[in-house]
Amino acid sequence: MKLGVDVGGTFTDFFLTRDGSAPLIFKTLSTPDDPSIAVVKGLHEIAESLDPAMSLEEFTGSLETIVHGTTVTTNATLTRRGAKSGLITTMGLRDALEMRRGIREEQYNNRYTNVVPLVPRRRRIGVEGRIDRDGNEITALNLEDVKAAIDQFKASGVEAISICFMNAFANPHHEQAAANLVRAEMPDAYLTVSTDLLPSIRFYERISTTALNSYIGPILAHYLDQLRSRLGDAGFNGTLLIMQSNGGVMSPEIARDHAALTLLSGPAGGPAAGLVYAEAHGQNKCLVVDMGGTSFEAALVDESPVMVNEGSIDRHKLALPMLGIHTIGAGGGSIGWIDKGGLLRMGPQSAGADPGPVCYRKSGVDPACTDANLVLGYLNPDFFAGGQISLDIEGSRKAIEEKIAKPLGMSVEAAAAGMYRVVCNNMAQGVREVTIKRGFDPREFPLIVAGGAGPIHSCQICNELEIPLQIVPRESSVLCAVGMLMSDLRHDMVRTFVARLGTHDWGALDDRITDMKSAAAAMLKDEGIAAKDCKFHVKFDCRYLKQYHEVSFVVDDTAIKARDATKIETAFHEEHNRLYGYSLDSGEVPVEIINVRLQAVGETSKPKMGTGEKATSDAATAIKGSRRVYIPETDAFADISVYDGARLHFGHKIEGPAMIEQVTTAIFVSAGFDCMLDANDSFVLYLKGREDLVSSGIKGSAK
Amino acid sequence: MTKVDPILLSVYARTFKSISDEMSMSVQKTTRSPILCEAKDFVTGLYDAEGRMLEQTENLPILAFSLAPVCKYIIEYFDGDIHPGDVIFHNDVFSLGNQNNDVAVYKPIFTDAKLVAWSAVKGHQADIGGNVPGGYNPRATEVWQEALRIPPVKVFEKGKRRKDVWDLIFANIRFDIVEHDLKAQMGACTVGERRIQALITKYGIASYDAHKAALFDATRKMMQAEIRSIPNGTYSGEGMVYFDGHNLGTEFTIRVTIHVEDEKITFDYSETDAQTDGFVNGTYTSSASATVLTLLQMVNPDIPHNEGMVEPFEIIIPEGTILNASYPKATTFGNHLCPPNADAIIRALAPVIPDRVTAGWNNLLCSLTTGIDPGNGEAYVDIGFMGLKGGSGGMNGTDGYDHIGMIDASGGVLDQDYEMFEQQTPHLLHRHEYTIDSAGAGQWRGGLGVETIYTIGSEDTQFVTFGDGDFEPAFGLFGGHDSTLNSIVLTYPDGTEHVPNNKDLIAGVPKGTLYHQFAGGGGGYGDPKKRDTRVLAEEITNGVISAEMAETVYGYKAGQAG
Repeated sequence: MKLGVDVGGTFTDFFLTRDGSAPLIFKTLSTPDDPSIAVVKGLHEIAESLDPAMSLEEFTGSLETIVHGTTVTTNATLTRRGAKSGLITTMGLRDALEMRRGIREEQYNNRYTNVVPLVPRRRRIGVEGRIDRDGNEITALNLEDVKAAIDQFKASGVEAISICFMNAFANPHHEQAAANLVRAEMPDAYLTVSTDLLPSIRFYERISTTALNSYIGPILAHYLDQLRSRLGDAGFNGTLLIMQSNGGVMSPEIARDHAALTLLSGPAGGPAAGLVYAEAHGQNKCLVVDMGGTSFEAALVDESPVMVNEGSIDRHKLALPMLGIHTIGAGGGSIGWIDKGGLLRMGPQSAGADPGPVCYRKSGVDPACTDANLVLGYLNPDFFAGGQISLDIEGSRKAIEEKIAKPLGMSVEAAAAGMYRVVCNNMAQGVREVTIKRGFDPREFPLIVAGGAGPIHSCQICNELEIPLQIVPRESSVLCAVGMLMSDLRHDMVRTFVARLGTHDWGALDDRITDMKSAAAAMLKDEGIAAKDCKFHVKFDCRYLKQYHEVSFVVDDTAIKARDATKIETAFHEEHNRLYGYSLDSGEVPVEIINVRLQAVGETSKPKMGTGEKATSDAATAIKGSRRVYIPETDAFADISVYDGARLHFGHKIEGPAMIEQVTTAIFVSAGFDCMLDANDSFVLYLKGREDLVSSGIKGSAK
Repeated sequence: MTKVDPILLSVYARTFKSISDEMSMSVQKTTRSPILCEAKDFVTGLYDAEGRMLEQTENLPILAFSLAPVCKYIIEYFDGDIHPGDVIFHNDVFSLGNQNNDVAVYKPIFTDAKLVAWSAVKGHQADIGGNVPGGYNPRATEVWQEALRIPPVKVFEKGKRRKDVWDLIFANIRFDIVEHDLKAQMGACTVGERRIQALITKYGIASYDAHKAALFDATRKMMQAEIRSIPNGTYSGEGMVYFDGHNLGTEFTIRVTIHVEDEKITFDYSETDAQTDGFVNGTYTSSASATVLTLLQMVNPDIPHNEGMVEPFEIIIPEGTILNASYPKATTFGNHLCPPNADAIIRALAPVIPDRVTAGWNNLLCSLTTGIDPGNGEAYVDIGFMGLKGGSGGMNGTDGYDHIGMIDASGGVLDQDYEMFEQQTPHLLHRHEYTIDSAGAGQWRGGLGVETIYTIGSEDTQFVTFGDGDFEPAFGLFGGHDSTLNSIVLTYPDGTEHVPNNKDLIAGVPKGTLYHQFAGGGGGYGDPKKRDTRVLAEEITNGVISAEMAETVYGYKAGQAG
């Protein structure tokens, strides 16, 4: 048995796969003070719920693998509860971390203040020693300066230390010498050396990433100790793996030293899971969207999840490869309001879980997206969370009337419909960020819909973007936990190698790649992956001479072996053209290599979804009633059938418009769509008449 | 007339913004001059068929409010001779351009053979011909000594490149990266074109027309409401300009008279001093941009940026004044008349809306360096963005922001990354840090300034300096103190020091010369003695305010913080 565990703000999600039986979904309330408590509590509850029931030790002892996604580092950063940190850097440059290259993101807002630096100025210490741009030593490292910094850190109780020197990407010796002294003097301190974590050019990116790693390193180390100890007590003796922001997993030992790799790992399981559902329909690409209470996340998978080489958290730059997940403030809790010019806006403010939307009866007064969904008939007031919460529809109507309908001079229904359409448009813009802005056409990608609120809005997102196919997995409410079991071990390496493509030193290039390969292979070996399951992909970051930003693209191994610069250059032109709508004619401008990257993947075995057994009954037997629901295509309400999702199975077909209710999600099949259930028991929504998009395995079997 | 759907209106507004941002990302990622891709000295925008602003992404606001006027001028200039596939370049300061180096690319957008909109990108080019590489020529007295003039010119006609015109332009510009950067700007215009076409195809032209008109109305109402919150009356203020580049000791005064009447605001610069003999002259659009961006900092920052936003403003700048030079005067410095112009506006409005103004921002003192990198034999151009950015002014309730000035950029222009700086120039950076005690003292202090030191790595290096920040510090308000001055000093290998004038050209600077620059802080707001002692204690331990200054200016006694 394998278990994916995804710790979220409100719920901890579990996804259990078993040989010979259908996978199991489970949710329990999170315990934010020590998230490992909820993990063990969930294990206990799952063991009890099994048929036949097992003891905790019996169940936990039979788990081969637990893959764990955690937001402890994210939360520590956002709530500013990281470790007390110190920074040793090049003399004269200690303020780079705080300056953030001198940007104020809101240019016309004089009330907008800079973000508080992760290391205060008094603990950012410049030391003598200088390497030039080519890696030559200009001034020797002054170890007495380093010692003085260490003494100050000791005196002020610093727990975590970062070292980042100018041009260390070209020559890391000064950093290593300083690190040796720190290790000797403060062996218990958490230490991050910039070129160990990110040996690539760009000082601000590197110093910021290094400081982030130190800031959260001790927090993650402490949490992993607690988790392993609790799991050990519960009888676990299998493999524990930790989710990373790049969509791969890693061992807890590697995670300890590379804490920053977990910073944006919260939604990182989703894209890998999405691909599994798309593959059932012959597709090797998809768009994955996840709409929760406060945020909406969109990610693109094109054979593998699309990566970016940097992102940011709370305005701090994080320059590590990560999934290109775009997050916007749009969720069930997003509040509707009228701006000073009379325009309807939704979010980014959210009612959150407390007070929550007005209909939760928790003293919320601002109408939220969920209130609009209730008024529009998408939510059943008596079957929310399977009937555990009774929703106050009158409260929703009143709030929408007062705050939206009256000021705009329209009916409550029209106002609710407006809120729905604006929120859908915001989400469609979010999808554009990961598709059109990166040179992909969204219409070519099936939309995989996750999150509790996602499947109510997905038809409208598809209408906006002309996406003809969407898939709502049965497991959509725990998609990230599913993805954790679909993820491979993964390590991304980078080396800066500045040279003109074609006239560069091929031998030196080989050395960089070999160096990264052996380091990555050693990590994978430590993680128990057989050599035959290790795959390596080389990527170059290139640019036209003197461009400032690089384009990352995969380089064929054989092109390097054959010393075929033309082939590599062609791949670069193509990627540049795809991203930015043009490329410079071959030979017009030289192409420069800046970084060489290596992606090392240790493949793991993946669980299978669904039982593959076809339904024998008619879909109509799953109808549990009918309801008046807003139909966006006609801008009017209509009575439509409501199906019980639990009674729908592989082979069933439903004509839109229709509602499908499950305990954790409601699905709205809009008037332009029909729905079939595929072999994974997923709900496949396709544009009317486009049955051809659905896997042939289920066509013709519909009733 | 199509009925306006208030919901669809929100959709249009959001979509315009997203398109303009996408164009901006495209320019940032594909251009080669660090001035564009690192510092983001460019603006992207969308305009309707009449040239009215639909939305803009204003990375550097001082360029921003010239795009719509030029679009209108282009429409008039070609008088219907506009076709799908045309691409038009423009920089001419005597037909509403703001600065010679800021070259705009305009692309008309058609659906069903009808002109429906324009996409445009204006960016500061690494060179624009003229006497001096990089375009800043403090010795210029006429426009031809500064730049190649580009009045509206089609470089593509009906989808075909006009090779002769194209070659004529680039034969007059020094660096080949300018040609590639303008191609990148064209690429971004195409990005805007595709998405506007998709939008109009989806909703129809009637819907688009009706909703953009409604959007202008809604935005105008928001701006009018903001103006109404300023008490009616007439208010005046002054800002100073020091040295015209030719006659040492010269001073010029910018005088603004602001009339507020209900929902209308007029900025009248009729009393401003006459134009100068040198390049210290504004153009109408550079000066009007300065006015708009200063006012925008005093109103709700969420107002959409479209034609409705600027309609309630009237800006009177008589030709022949330092803010609106007459043909054929030199004008390259014009964008940098923004700081003294902003000073004049802030001084005028501070007594009336004391809670919405900042104290003075650090004024500009900047250098542009050109030379040959001995490492690769190639020419480089560097505008020292990291060194020029001082602090913003404090305001009631909020300290100034450290190291984001000048006000023309309002924090939108990025420093060079240090390692990229050393890759792209032959210089060696020794220091780039906040300067202790540089912030103007106040209950709400000004933002900190910075100190920059590097060794010049090329022989025969040419420096151009420009700015006013070595004469007058950022001013304090309501008991807040002035900040520190800006300075640039060159120390040659033989030990001699040279302090350039604030508009100067220094040729032949040898390798090994030490470049030393201070950008001052922003002005303080309110009595420093009222500053929170806990904050002061923190600032003393962090070394941004000295114990001496804390004691003498802030009245702080050690151990006082609770």
